[in-house]
Amino acid sequence: MHGTPEQLIACHECDLLMERVSNHPNEDVICPRCHARIYYTTVNSIERLLALSIAGLILFIPANIFPILSLQVFGQSQSEIIFQSALSLFDGGLVLVALLILLFAIVVPLFQLVILFYISFSLHYHRTGRLLRQAMHGYQHLRGWGMLEIFLLGVLISIIKLKDIADLDIGLGLYSLAALIVVTTLSSVFFNPHQIWHEIDLNRQKARTNE
Amino acid sequence: MSNQLPRFKSARESGYLLCIDCEKLHPLSLEGEHCDRCGARLHSRVPNSMNLSWASLIAAVLLFLPANLLPIMTFKSFGQGEPSTILSGIIHLLDQDMLLIGLIVLIASIVVPVLKIIAMTILLCTVQFRLQTNLRQKTLMFRIVEWIGRWSMLDVFVIGILVALVQLGNIAHIEGNDGATAFAVVVLLTMFSAIVFDTRLIWDNGVTDSPANDDQKDTQ
Ligand SMILES: [Zn+2]
Ligand SMILES: [Zn+2]
Repeated sequence: MHGTPEQLIACHECDLLMERVSNHPNEDVICPRCHARIYYTTVNSIERLLALSIAGLILFIPANIFPILSLQVFGQSQSEIIFQSALSLFDGGLVLVALLILLFAIVVPLFQLVILFYISFSLHYHRTGRLLRQAMHGYQHLRGWGMLEIFLLGVLISIIKLKDIADLDIGLGLYSLAALIVVTTLSSVFFNPHQIWHEIDLNRQKARTNE
Repeated sequence: MSNQLPRFKSARESGYLLCIDCEKLHPLSLEGEHCDRCGARLHSRVPNSMNLSWASLIAAVLLFLPANLLPIMTFKSFGQGEPSTILSGIIHLLDQDMLLIGLIVLIASIVVPVLKIIAMTILLCTVQFRLQTNLRQKTLMFRIVEWIGRWSMLDVFVIGILVALVQLGNIAHIEGNDGATAFAVVVLLTMFSAIVFDTRLIWDNGVTDSPANDDQKDTQ
């Protein structure tokens, strides 16, 4: 094998060793053996993530304080916010299920937005970012555990299940949730770990030469 | 790109290991040390991947029956009502001509977990018995299964939403049952089985799978 580790790259899915090639933006480097995407370039990744994480953190508030649905039967009405879908199961004794809903629909999405804001803010304004490593690990390990879009589909199915027996109103919380899902989906598209680790390297080198 | 290389060769065979967290390439001698870029512990393959993946898959299979037979929730109106299971909930939707919704719940709650269990069994057997066929298709299958598996949580969310909303005392109320816990654990276990599975193990035995062989096949 020729070349130094800097000129080589391995596929994270099949461990194929290959030589690093330069790629244009919007041009993916694909593993010739297993067809995994090895690396790619995202234009203005940091700026986009900064904007999206701020938008997401703002949208997170109405999505969680306004009712997502309210229901009327025989003059009685009941409305619910996202947190109550976990709380009511907790009261009913299904502690584990309640905990999972709390994690997947509230805690993980919030953590991801906060982490994303920290990473993009530190890199955009060239801050030292002492917790950048932990933040990157956190974000990558939480990938796939934020399930807002599945929660939204669950709300739609609940609406259809109940529409014959009760009158339902869609609340402001549900619209905010839908907007929040657009933001989190876009931010996971623009989150390019390969590129961000490279930015962190550059950021660290700059900090070292300034010292 | 890989034309200069004599044949497909893994990083491990060539004396390198890839940090799975930040994708930096290190010499193989650093096995067990910490990555100098991201601080993660370096392993050329995920330690104990096969044992953990098999164990969670088998646990998921064992819990699959109780998850489908135990009631997941009970709807009560004026003192009447009976518990429903995942399957009876789907049949109820189909009976009421809610075909699309019934199908979505059927796919998310039953088809996806079953397919995921079958797919993980195929992948684990491929590594365990050193099978060398259709490796690319199996990798693709893994990507699909890993992406789609989380959608099985759908019914769990529906239960939470319905229980929170339908709390009108004697007129109508819905409560959750233990089947929901069993079902959520099945989904968690299948997700965990896929997360700890190291896809690179599939390719470690594919020694004959080289571009040179591909070329020969093409000319024949
Ligand atoms: Zn590959
Ligand atoms: Zn690393």
